[in-house]
Formats: sequence, structure tokens, C-alpha cells
Amino acid sequence: MKKPELLAPAGDLERLKIALIYGADAVYIGGPLLNLRANAINFSLDEIKEGVEFAHKLNKKVYVTVNIMLHKDEIKVLKNYLKELEKCHVDAIIVSDPSVIDCALKYTNLEIHLSTQTSTINSEAVLFWKNKGISRVVLGRECEKKDIESIINKTGMEIETFIHGAMCAGYSGRCVMSNFLTNRDANRGGCSQICRWNFNLYNEDKQEIKGDMPFTFCSKDLSMYKYIPDMIEMGISSFKIEGRMRSIYYIATVVSTYRHIIDEYINNKDNYEYNKEYEEILNRVANRDSIPQFFNGVYDYNASYYNGRMEVSNQDFLGIIINYDEKNRLATIEERNYFKKGDIVEIFGPNHDTITHKIDKIYDEDNNMIDVVRHPKQVVKIPINNSIEKYDMMRIKSIDKA
Amino acid sequence: MSKLITIPSSIDEVNETKTLVDGYIIGIKDMCVNSNFNIEDLSILNEFSDKDIFINLNKNILESEIDKVREILIDLNNYNIKGVLFYDIGILNIYNKLNLKYDLIISQEHALTNTATVNYWCANGIKCAYLSSDITINEVSEIKKSSDCKVMVNLFGYLPMFVSRRHIVKNYLDYFKLDDNSSINYIEKEGAIYPIIDNNVGTQVYSGNILNGIKYSLINLDYIVLNSFNIDLDKFIDVIKMFISVNEKNILEYDDKINNMFPNVDYGFLERKTIYKVGK
Repeated sequence: MKKPELLAPAGDLERLKIALIYGADAVYIGGPLLNLRANAINFSLDEIKEGVEFAHKLNKKVYVTVNIMLHKDEIKVLKNYLKELEKCHVDAIIVSDPSVIDCALKYTNLEIHLSTQTSTINSEAVLFWKNKGISRVVLGRECEKKDIESIINKTGMEIETFIHGAMCAGYSGRCVMSNFLTNRDANRGGCSQICRWNFNLYNEDKQEIKGDMPFTFCSKDLSMYKYIPDMIEMGISSFKIEGRMRSIYYIATVVSTYRHIIDEYINNKDNYEYNKEYEEILNRVANRDSIPQFFNGVYDYNASYYNGRMEVSNQDFLGIIINYDEKNRLATIEERNYFKKGDIVEIFGPNHDTITHKIDKIYDEDNNMIDVVRHPKQVVKIPINNSIEKYDMMRIKSIDKA
Repeated sequence: MSKLITIPSSIDEVNETKTLVDGYIIGIKDMCVNSNFNIEDLSILNEFSDKDIFINLNKNILESEIDKVREILIDLNNYNIKGVLFYDIGILNIYNKLNLKYDLIISQEHALTNTATVNYWCANGIKCAYLSSDITINEVSEIKKSSDCKVMVNLFGYLPMFVSRRHIVKNYLDYFKLDDNSSINYIEKEGAIYPIIDNNVGTQVYSGNILNGIKYSLINLDYIVLNSFNIDLDKFIDVIKMFISVNEKNILEYDDKINNMFPNVDYGFLERKTIYKVGK
């Protein structure tokens, strides 16, 4: 049984570090050019270099997405850009346009992963790419369990699948509704998520068909926490979490939860038991319903999401620990959401069990005692007896609210 | 000079247009995202020895469909066809292991957007590329000039903009317990109406406007494709006739005529670049 890689998204350097510290084996990021999150902050080449150095010191990896469908103007910059990425010592690039594959093979020694954007869902397609210099295929999210098993058995290829995050309503790469409705190019990083819009639906006689909620393409998110043991046994090489635009809290929570699930199964397979608490943690950090989607062959209306854009903004994340004074048992915390004296909170981190703590005292930066923390990024100090660490996070105690 | 081929919606349409066009793209039901032709219907094509007949198998191929696809590819060798259009690269890999007399045409409608990509496929045995419908006519021309492949280009009809394995209309009807047996539905947003099909393959959505590219039809494009999907047949035949008789003198007149024949016509992305970076 091979231990799979846990692969996390990182929208910037801070999130890259958080993902790796919280247990990801590798991260995928967007560089300054040619990636499908054109409107995200993305990494500069210097930041990629710094991120790669950080990861390699931890014996972890960084993959860079070069996964747009190129037009002629992008082709002009491709060769130099790939050479720059090679100089940054990135561990692989993730691509969908064959022109990138061709260029990378001709002019660099970069390892190449095939993006889910190609919607590769069968063994013959995987075999084609295997013979063309691709070292890993990220399967389309439409694959069912039996498909993935068959593909791995027939190809012996390194296979990556998504385990958590948002889903496209259509086959990735075959949806350009964004192009037509907003002129924003979905396959070049401009997707305006038309699949989450509401529409009026009509029959063939153009009479309206109206349900209690408007028609939408929107699907629920993906979550595979219950099936991680199955996926490990199937021999999937890499488990991918979606969400390069997500917050550090989301990344820390999702990565650390899957880290626990994977390690608990790998380390004690015979006595492994599904831990319902992880499901609660993941559900709380999510802002939409999630299910295993195609994995079980179920993609009927149970996979659809008809709640409009009523996505819940998560207020659980209270602050990040930026320092812990071991001698004085004093945590310095940067605030992310309102909290106050008397609150019962949880502190979680990559290197210890979750700690429950009642906030008795709060000091501001000048050591004045205060009762509430209500300003974003306000730095405060809180006495905490348990040893905690920089990059630990403080959240609302979920069990009380669940 | 470009050849004029159409994507017919029925056998009747084939019979009505057979004296007009140079060929057809015939989708096979359940192997093509939106078509009702059965393999048995292909026998009619044997009488069209003078035409370029292409078979469309442009669905995403599931692992469980691999054997069926192999059988279809072998079976198609018995027909007088010029080539097979495909989206899924699995088809190319199967084809490469068989000794078949027809060509393969890559038909990834949103992925063939530059010369280097087209040439990549050309170097891998592909004879013709059905170019993306979201590039400009200048990009189309440049690919045609600098690639080794033949090209097919949409110049008339509703354009594909979404394909899903999910049954998105059926799911909505089931969830809200609504009855509807339409063979085609429409979705509307801010006055624009988009055809949507939910069939055995999944769901497909088409553009709200009909592409009218007749003013670019004199460029040598190897194959100009006209799609009759959701278009009145009489009007479609009129459009075909204009594409056949278009010349430098009447090109703008025909452009106007087509624009006036339908309430919802535009030039698609032939004259409009898509953007992908907003407000930066």
C-alpha cells in the first residue's frame, strides 16, 4: 500500500506555507502567467522561488499550473516562461494545452502533469499521454470508483484525483458559458461561474417551467472524507484539494483534517474507524453542501444545489497565532473575527491535538486589558497554559455550535 | 476553395440538401453530444460517393465505453467515410492501434485555439482540426496559413458552449417534481435565450445567437461548417444557397440578408476577442 500525496492549493506565499505546515505533501500554485486563475493574486517568479525553497526544505513539492488554452499572444511568451519556471526548480507543471507539453519537452526538463481541464476519464486517453511524456494525469471529476480502478490497473500511470472542493457543472474545458455571457474566457482563467447563476427554464414550446427555486447548473461541492481508505487501497497517487482562492483558515482546516484521516488509516489500517468529528469540522469550514459526487455513480438531483448563491460566510476563524511565549505562557494572536473575554475557543495546529480554552484575559499590544477584539488583524495577547505554536489557529468551539 | 459541409439534424434534411453541399458531419446517437442518427442510418451515405462524409463521435468517452468505441471505429471502416471527428483523446489512442482507412479529425471545440496546438495534433497523425469557435477570424486565418493540418471552421449556426455528463434539466424537473418531455428546452437570462438539450449523453447548452460568418466564407478554410441545429429547414437551405453563391460582389448583401432572416444573429467571436483578466 502506497501512501498517497496530499496536494493542497495555495493562492499566495502565506497560504503555501500554511498548507505545507499543516500537512500537505505538495502544493499547486499559479505563476504570473498562463494559469486558470487570471484574477487571483498569483505568485511572482521570486515568490515561486521562495515557495519552492520553503517546500524543499521540508522535503515537499511545488507544482505550477500552466493550464490555460493558449491563444497566439500567449504562445509568444511560453518558452521563456517555462524556462523561468525550470530555473525556480518547481517540481512539475500542470498543463492542459498540448502546445505547452510540446514546448516543455523540447526546451526544458520540467516534469509534466496533465490537468483535469482535459477531462481525461478513460485508460486509452491516459495511455496516450503516458507515451507522450506526461508523468501524471489528473483525472476528470466525472470518473466513478470503478473507472479509476480500471484506469490505474490498465495504465500503471501516476493518477491524481480531487478529494475536496468545488465542482464544475460541466466537463472541465468544455464549458465556455462565461465566454458567451460575459466575454470572459473560461479556458484562460476568466471563468465568471455562470453555472452558479439562476436562469428561467422553458419547454420546447417556450412555456416557462417553474420550480420553487430558479433553474441553475450549480452542483454541490465534493468531499471524499468517508472514502479516503478506499482511495488509498485503489492506488491513487495524489489526493487533490480544490481552492486556490480559499483562505488560510480553510486550507489549514481541510489539509489538517485530511492529513489526519490519511495517516490514521495508513498507520493503523486494521483498526481504522471513521471519525465523525472530522466530517463536522469539514462541514463547518465549508460554505456549501458537499457529497462524493461521481465517485459512487450518483449524479442525480442530489448532486445539484438549488439554494441560489446563499453561501454562508464562515465566522469560525477567530485568529492566527503569530507567537507563543513559552516562559510566560502568552499567545500573541492576530484577529480574523470578533471574539471576547469568556468565549470558549479551540486552538488547532499541525503538531498537537486540538486544545479547548476559555478566554479569561485579553491584552492589547500595549498590555492594557481589554474585553473584546473586534478589529480585523488586531494583534492581542492571551494567556494560554497549553503549549501552542506559531501558525496555530484559533476558532469557535465547534461542538457547542454543531 | 473551401468545401461546404453541414451538420444535419435528420435524414430528411440530408435528402433535401444533398444536391447543395460537399459533405456532412453525421453524429452517432449516444456517441455524439447532440445527434439522433443511428449507425444503421449510415447505409444511406453509400449513395454519396462524391461527398466528404464525416462521422461525429465527440462525446467524452467513459472507461466503460472503451470496448464499444473500438467496435464502432472498426465498424465505420465498412462505410464510405472521409473521417471521424472526436473530442476524447482515448479515441486517438484506439485508432492508432487499428489499421483504418479513414482519417481522424480533432474536434475539441474550445481547445484548438493556436497553431502550435493544431500542429501538435498534426504531428500525432491527425489530418484535420475543427477549430475552436471562440477565436477571432484573424486567429483562424493564421492557424490555416501556418499549420500543416486542414481546418474546419463553423461559419453558421448555434455554437456549443457547455457539455456535461450531468442531466441538469432532468435533475431540476425531478427535484421540484415537474413534468416535461421536451426534446429541447431553453434557458433565459436577461432576455437572451439559450437552447439546452438533456439527452442520454448528458446536458449541452448552445449560444443564444446564431453565428453568421458568411462574410468570412471566401477565405480558404478547407471546410466551412454550417449547423442546422434548431434552425428552420427552409431558412437553412436559403443560407446554404447563399454560402454556395457568395462572391466578392454580393458578400455584404448576403451578410445583411442572413442578419435579417433571424432575430438573433451575431458574428460570435470572429470579430471579438475574449478577455480573461478583469480590472488589472
